[in-house]
Amino acid sequence: MRYLAIGLTAAVMFAAGAGLAANETIAVFTKNLTNPYFQAVRVGAEAAAKTLGVKVDQYIPTKPDSIPEQLSQVEDVIVKKPDAIVFIPVDYKALVPAVEKINAAGIPVVNITDRSAGGDFVSFVGADDYGIGLATATDLLKAMGGKGNVIILEGVKGALSNTDRVRGFNDALKEFPNVKLLASQPANYQRLQALQVMENLMQSFPTIDGVMAANDPMAVGAIEALEGANRKALVVGINGSKEAVELIKSGKLLASGDFNGFIQGCIGVEIAVRNLRKQPTPRELILKPAVIDTTNFSSYETPVEARTCPTLDQVASP
Amino acid sequence: MNDDAMNKNTKGDVDIAVRSRLAFSSNAMQALYRLLAATLLCAVLASLSDVFLTENNILNVLRQTALLFLMASGLTLVILTAGLDLSVGANIALSACLSASVMKATGSASLGVATGIGCGTFIGLANGVLVTALRIPSFIATYGVMWMLTGLTYFYMGGETIHGFPPAFRQLGSGYLLGIPMPVYVMVLFLAIGTFFAQRTIWGQQVYAIGANPVAARLSGVPVHSRLVLVYTVSGAMAGLASLIILARINSAEGDIGENLTLPAIAAVLVGGTSLFGGSGTVMGTLIGALILTLVLNGMNLLQINASWQPLVTGVIVLVAVWISTLTRQSGE
Amino acid sequence: MSVRTAMPNLLARVPGVAIALIVLCTVFGLVSARFATPTNIANILVQSTILLLLALPMTLIIMTEGLDLSIGAVLTFASIILAVIVIATGSFALALSAALAAGLCFGLANGVLISVLGIPPFITTLGTLGIAQGLSLLVTDGQSVVGIPRSIESIYSGRLAGIPLPILIAALAYAVTHILLYHTRFGTYIFALGGNREALKIAGISVRGMLIGVYLFGGLMAGFAALLMTARLNSAHPTAGVGMEFDAIAAVAVGGTSFERGNGWLFGTLLGVLAVGVLRNGLNLLAVPSSAQVASIGALVIVALFIDGLRSEP
Repeated sequence: MRYLAIGLTAAVMFAAGAGLAANETIAVFTKNLTNPYFQAVRVGAEAAAKTLGVKVDQYIPTKPDSIPEQLSQVEDVIVKKPDAIVFIPVDYKALVPAVEKINAAGIPVVNITDRSAGGDFVSFVGADDYGIGLATATDLLKAMGGKGNVIILEGVKGALSNTDRVRGFNDALKEFPNVKLLASQPANYQRLQALQVMENLMQSFPTIDGVMAANDPMAVGAIEALEGANRKALVVGINGSKEAVELIKSGKLLASGDFNGFIQGCIGVEIAVRNLRKQPTPRELILKPAVIDTTNFSSYETPVEARTCPTLDQVASP
Repeated sequence: MNDDAMNKNTKGDVDIAVRSRLAFSSNAMQALYRLLAATLLCAVLASLSDVFLTENNILNVLRQTALLFLMASGLTLVILTAGLDLSVGANIALSACLSASVMKATGSASLGVATGIGCGTFIGLANGVLVTALRIPSFIATYGVMWMLTGLTYFYMGGETIHGFPPAFRQLGSGYLLGIPMPVYVMVLFLAIGTFFAQRTIWGQQVYAIGANPVAARLSGVPVHSRLVLVYTVSGAMAGLASLIILARINSAEGDIGENLTLPAIAAVLVGGTSLFGGSGTVMGTLIGALILTLVLNGMNLLQINASWQPLVTGVIVLVAVWISTLTRQSGE
Repeated sequence: MSVRTAMPNLLARVPGVAIALIVLCTVFGLVSARFATPTNIANILVQSTILLLLALPMTLIIMTEGLDLSIGAVLTFASIILAVIVIATGSFALALSAALAAGLCFGLANGVLISVLGIPPFITTLGTLGIAQGLSLLVTDGQSVVGIPRSIESIYSGRLAGIPLPILIAALAYAVTHILLYHTRFGTYIFALGGNREALKIAGISVRGMLIGVYLFGGLMAGFAALLMTARLNSAHPTAGVGMEFDAIAAVAVGGTSFERGNGWLFGTLLGVLAVGVLRNGLNLLAVPSSAQVASIGALVIVALFIDGLRSEP
């Protein structure tokens, strides 16, 4: 028992000691430890922190996307009083009380990725999910020559990103009257579920020419299902993950909408720090939708760890 | 004192023999009922959807069943001893991620396979030791292990994805032999091994005996601890194997690969007629249980039923299936 | 009988969970200046209330050699019912009654399926978990339910005589459960039920009625926990309670209630809930990486039970 206690103390001392050097501390909240998108956000936040000379503490629910746990973490962090918070709510409606608590504690907070339905923010930084969905789907529909049959693989029902992306898909379809939407089924942003949903849908539909997936893992699941059945279809996803870039390079994936977590992490921290240092900050920053495909994938091949943060000015002025 | 122990010993032997014979015949009946239920389900689906009975869809259902069965088969042995292994999903996640990174680093499919199965087996062994040597109830020990494995996996993966494995390895998940998916062969192989082990070997009989009455089993000379360790190790090894099939099918590994796999696997075992109180059930039953659960999901996809119905329908089916087996078991007594 | 003697022997035989809790508090108190502040202690206590409301009935259920896997999903469903009805009608009393009724319905279903139809608790509640989860998804279509009157929020954030309301509610729930378990015939039968079911039957006690009662209690507490959860989130969400059943079971097990022989200890459950709360809070204060936090929950469960295992060694 004594050894356990000593071990614990040592471990904890180490963890605490690491934090004493920096001047300002920024607490960054992301949704889970498993989705590469949030990893990119965290890497971006760390990169910005290094440049700006601040310290970043990462808070991630141990149960992926757990609402009560993120709320508890916010409460714990308020006790700790960081200088600023960069916040991605696991649910844009249910975490409003958490934001209100941060507001009440007087800690400035920057909202990134998913726009919270309430509370006061220094600013919001996000991608335009609708625009990305529209642009990515348009890429696919053009590549299909404006005719054929498509399937939509939806993400988690009720998630704002999913609603907007799927709306973008559907609006793109309206521009191509000769393309028929066969089915729009949820696979909850999960790879294995997308694989199995796709396998089942292929039984119902003998000809599928295109697949629009609301994120990259589902697109990859669909590709595996198609390959397994020896069938061909053009597939697009969203997120611009490392895996997607590799697949675009090898010609298996047509395109991926660039959701750019790295830049969102960078800019979120930068705005938080600018605000602390009384420099001007934008109220809102929506990154321009971009689609990664065979024409431009090479600029995305640099792994996120090796990328450098763009400055606020670079992102703000196109 | 000595005489007493001797008496108990012989009595225990007879008990076990009678019990396992009885258990076997009632198990056969149970399996029959379930097969009927699965057939009925197929008939309903066939009448509702004209693509259900196509060759492709049947192979599709079989392949999905195979995956669920592999996860559930090892678990069947654990549940036969009146234990439970909640770490199956987390075990699959860590095994898959380690195996994936070994394959990515070395390019060798066989090293990857060895890593996956080795990791799974080791975790199973650890579960067995926790349950027997430290005397922690299996339910809670494997729950603790689940958290530790998940933490390790998250730490190891750091939110990244490992993608793209050797084509030879991918055959394991998405390949065909004589027009039948590879996982189906693996399923049949392990069904045969599992059934032989459980029904035809002395070790298998001892597993049933431990589940039926651990005290009687110990008194009649069954090495309870070492058999339990064996059972958890086998369950871990099967999780390792299942992780490889998943890996080969989706061609990538990420930290949440094992999420939401444990409860369906337990459900397959229970729908398959294995009792949580131990001592009764078969590996064949688990296969039928896995088939029934897969058919339900397949049917809902084919009929394009809102996915929100899935947990509700699955819940009702699990309840009804177990209720029926409780009824038949009671009437058999 | 051994259970009754566990209380007086407390000092002679300090259980694993108490050791774990003391070690955790000492370490966090030494390392983080903010840990042992009144604000943070209140914070930990308030955060632990919802889990405690689930862990209390879970202790009783486990003592009957049962289990309730549906309790987290029932909490979620009751929370959605509460939110939907309060928004539709504006009547808090009606909404709360409906939420409690929803909890009681599931409790009744669990109790009847287990005791009358003889379906094992694990599988019964696994089935009702699916049903409650499915109903939650169907009612909400996967969306959060928002637009609850602000007054409900004050149930979680309000104070009475300086003490946060959730703590008062949890203390009341603990007191009620304590009296139920240690000072009523019902409680005595629960001890007997886990320990010696046959004797109870011979004595002419309705085991069925007892079991139904225990699961009803679980459903009722899930309803109250739903009230706190809804007030806390100021909304209801179809995944809010996912996995809470396992947290509750772990807290009970860490607290020293055994899964065999009706060996239960209610105060241990309270300590178990606090140990989980202190661990998570302390690690957050120290900004320990999340993957280490995940693993540490598992370590807590195994270490606490391991210590108990050592002590019960003859």
